Amino acid sequence: MKHVNRQELVDFLKPRLNARFQTWIEICAHCAICADTCHFYLAHDRNPSMIPAHKARFLNEILKGKAVPDEAYLKKMYETLYYECNMCRRCALYCPFGIDVGLLVSLQRAMLHNVAGLRPAGLEAAIENYRQFGNQMALTEEDWVDTLEWTIEELEDDYPTLEIPIDKQNAKIMYTVNAREPKFYPQDIQEAAIIFNAAQEDWTMPRVGWEDTNLSMFCGDLTTSKKLVENTFRQADKLNAKQVAITE
Amino acid sequence: MELYHDYIASGRIKLKEKIKVPTTVQDPCNVIRSGGLAEKNRKLAEMLSEDFRPMSYQGNYNFCCCGGGGAIPMGGEMRPHRMKGGKVKADQIRETGAKLVFVPCHNCIDQIRDLNKEYDLGIKAVHFKEVIAHNMVIPEHMLAAKTEEAEEEV
Repeated sequence: MKHVNRQELVDFLKPRLNARFQTWIEICAHCAICADTCHFYLAHDRNPSMIPAHKARFLNEILKGKAVPDEAYLKKMYETLYYECNMCRRCALYCPFGIDVGLLVSLQRAMLHNVAGLRPAGLEAAIENYRQFGNQMALTEEDWVDTLEWTIEELEDDYPTLEIPIDKQNAKIMYTVNAREPKFYPQDIQEAAIIFNAAQEDWTMPRVGWEDTNLSMFCGDLTTSKKLVENTFRQADKLNAKQVAITE
Repeated sequence: MELYHDYIASGRIKLKEKIKVPTTVQDPCNVIRSGGLAEKNRKLAEMLSEDFRPMSYQGNYNFCCCGGGGAIPMGGEMRPHRMKGGKVKADQIRETGAKLVFVPCHNCIDQIRDLNKEYDLGIKAVHFKEVIAHNMVIPEHMLAAKTEEAEEEV
């Protein structure tokens, strides 16, 4: 864990605290209406430390100089932000001020990642693969195209005319998937292909930019996040596809 | 999921039969609350089912399965936390009495399959496309064309 001082955290937050975030932090009345909206709170026998608003507390503590960001403090922050919130945004629907704790948790996670270098190992592994291969499962372009090809061959007996058009120009839909599909669940790709063929959809799957997960977003690694989105939309532009569709 | 809904609603895909066992559907946070597809998600589940049973809070107000926000790819370190926090979703599913749960999200489906084992729910969790691909009418053009080509070659 990197040693950090409070000023570094403040410096990270300041330019990111837009009017909305600033208002939310200041306006929260600690009314606890959000408590019952949270599955963590309910599943933990209504433990007050699981109340959504409480999970945004680090922002005020840091900004107002009440926090000493030592190892124990950062660890507590990590556990709260990762083990006690899925950023599902349900609490935002019930808050009388519309405070979106999910987004505040996201901002705090980004602070941990960017300033303290703290992020879950699982996400770090995915990020490494994203950077190197453009997908979380470390598949090469060759692996990917091979997978699409044998996926179709397997279906040949039942659906002799079935096709997966790869990198087709001007298609209406460019279909992208979760990298777990070519790696673990190729039947997902087969089922989608069967449906698109049955519907006689004008579709294609791209050679690159086909990964539609973006796990780097969950720890606020926006550099990697942006690259992934760009991969997909650059390819959609190149193919002149009308829409990008993502898997279930 | 939206495409699948539109194919079936417009008749572009026709179904041979509907699912007979009781079903329900998960509302993945990112697709529903943030993505705005609550209505089509439920409608698609209804079109595929004879006995659709909504969860409590079905739609935009549904609970998270506790697999979101990176919880699944975090692996072992998160597992006990998501099993505990997922109790709310497990209870919601059990309440419906459903035997088949449509789950249009990779994160949610991994989580709900884990919850099924952890809380002994006796359900099967599936993506929509699995059910559609198996229950739809296979149109002529998908079966015939190659035979014609073969004949032409002769």
